[in-house]
Amino acid sequence: MRLLFLQKEELEPFVSRLIAWQEVVGPKAKKNRFVFDKLESPAELRLDYDTTILPPKKYFFQPQQDLIRFSPEGFTGCIEPKPRIIFGVHPYDIKAISMLDYLFSDGKKDWNYLANRQAATIVGINVHQVFKTAFFESMGASIVTKGYDLFLTDIGEEGFVVEVATDKGEALLAYGHFTQVTPDQAQKRRKILYGQSDRCSQKLFNLPEEVSEKVALSFYHPIWEEMASRCFSCGACNLVCPTCYCFDVQDMWNLDQESGIRFRTWDGCLTEDFAKVTVQGGTENFRQDRSSRYRHRIMRKAVYLNSKLGGPACVGCGRCASACPADLANPVPVLNKIMEG
Amino acid sequence: MNNPYLPKRVRIEKIIDETVGRDIKSFVFSFLDPQDRQSFDYHPGQFAEISIAGAGEIPIGIASSPTEGDTVMFTVKKMGVVTKDLHNSSPGRIVGLRGPYGNGFPMEELKGKHIVIVGGGFAFTTLRALAVYLMGEERRKDYGDITIIYGARTPGDLIYRQELEAWSQRKDLNVHITVDKAEPGWQGKEGFVPAVVKQVAPSAKEAIAIVCGPPIMIKFTIPILFELGFAADKILNSLEMRMKCGLGKCGRCNIGHKYVCKDGPVFTYAELQNMPPEY
Repeated sequence: MRLLFLQKEELEPFVSRLIAWQEVVGPKAKKNRFVFDKLESPAELRLDYDTTILPPKKYFFQPQQDLIRFSPEGFTGCIEPKPRIIFGVHPYDIKAISMLDYLFSDGKKDWNYLANRQAATIVGINVHQVFKTAFFESMGASIVTKGYDLFLTDIGEEGFVVEVATDKGEALLAYGHFTQVTPDQAQKRRKILYGQSDRCSQKLFNLPEEVSEKVALSFYHPIWEEMASRCFSCGACNLVCPTCYCFDVQDMWNLDQESGIRFRTWDGCLTEDFAKVTVQGGTENFRQDRSSRYRHRIMRKAVYLNSKLGGPACVGCGRCASACPADLANPVPVLNKIMEG
Repeated sequence: MNNPYLPKRVRIEKIIDETVGRDIKSFVFSFLDPQDRQSFDYHPGQFAEISIAGAGEIPIGIASSPTEGDTVMFTVKKMGVVTKDLHNSSPGRIVGLRGPYGNGFPMEELKGKHIVIVGGGFAFTTLRALAVYLMGEERRKDYGDITIIYGARTPGDLIYRQELEAWSQRKDLNVHITVDKAEPGWQGKEGFVPAVVKQVAPSAKEAIAIVCGPPIMIKFTIPILFELGFAADKILNSLEMRMKCGLGKCGRCNIGHKYVCKDGPVFTYAELQNMPPEY
């Protein structure tokens, strides 16, 4: 593993030079929350953020993404990736991006996602403040060993120990003043990354594998009905989720009424329309009840995608729990209750 | 970088009205670029996305057999935005097509077996592809008895009617056509598909049943197949609806661990029994 050191006062000049070179996005304050957004100056970068409203997946899988253009001449693709540095990504979000990388590559490759992903350079950062509803420790997402190009560990007043993981990460080094890491600094890094536990207030009482096994058998558990009776079917939990990747596809004409675009938009399995299909004589909804939709989301995170991902499709970021207007999206109490019973 | 959502251009060569109600039409497409036909390498039971600029895309089972030449046929019922737009087409119109997708019928597994095809209503499309494939001159000897049981509400609702009549004349096929309600002049059977299956009683020995039709028909046909001795893993179904992107990405057709468009649309009844009841 290649480690370097970046002194605290060297961070701003480093980010400044990166901004001059490429688009750099990072966590910025927005009212009382944080968002990933384009950095105009290094002063906007808030590496002490707890979590962002939306995860960084929005740069690869945009809320609305053009897929093809059509005109009387035919169809053309619109894969136009833009190089971008995503600076300051937490381990749970890096893990989530790795999952999406796999899911969009599995089977037929979705280059509309993958091209954006390949054009991005990811600079990770350890979690400084834990978000109030986060439970990434329970999901094995407090530490990642891949999925980033550089990873910064804030070891305090001195600065950052920087792990150089890829060639793309290596390419950023020219823009900053990095020095050799001392054994003491490397030791501090290890302690911060591997020596901390019990930081999340939300906890699963069982291992994800145990949860998966039991939840799989809980299709008819009363909890789905119980929880969903308060659900507004708004889909906010889906929209803020770093591993949700369902989408809808629509066509839109340009003003000339001859050409147009086909685009995809984020979709959510909690919304009523998601499982609605046109059938003979009208529409049919495969998950008509709120409880079946509520169950589907938890099942997808805890059970259905495990066979593909080798574990749950949840990283414990806690965004769903905080986004839910009815305060019922947090999977932790639901899963714990199923495990108890 | 290959954009998987990019359709190939196809021309509508022919439009065939299949029913008296004129709400089901078959569309015969040819690829503008012959190379695209080459790469459209399909087998019975697979589907493709028909793409109409400005209206959208629909996943539709392929109704032609790959042995029928360079054109590809789809039989489409007028239902939503895209199908209505397609129904308003005239021959010569250029639309988009991408695919083929899905697992299709397990053609290797069917070899050497007796085949029982049970279809209802306009869900007979991929079953037609299968039947045409199986009865082809060079391939017919690879299969045992072929029994086709097909029904619709009225004689006017039967699709591929001329072909069905031709098949009925063949000595190497057992074809049973039925309607729920006969009309004057109807020579065939009258009665629901499950009842006809019971009456025809195809042997389950070394046999595979392939069942496509409205949910109600499937619901009553499966117990009869069980009675006849068909095991759940020897009954195949095709889940035709629910799909959207066709690539196993958009999540619409996800049931349990399966994506209908990628892992299906053809599943054995045994597989369906292991899936959450959301289909």
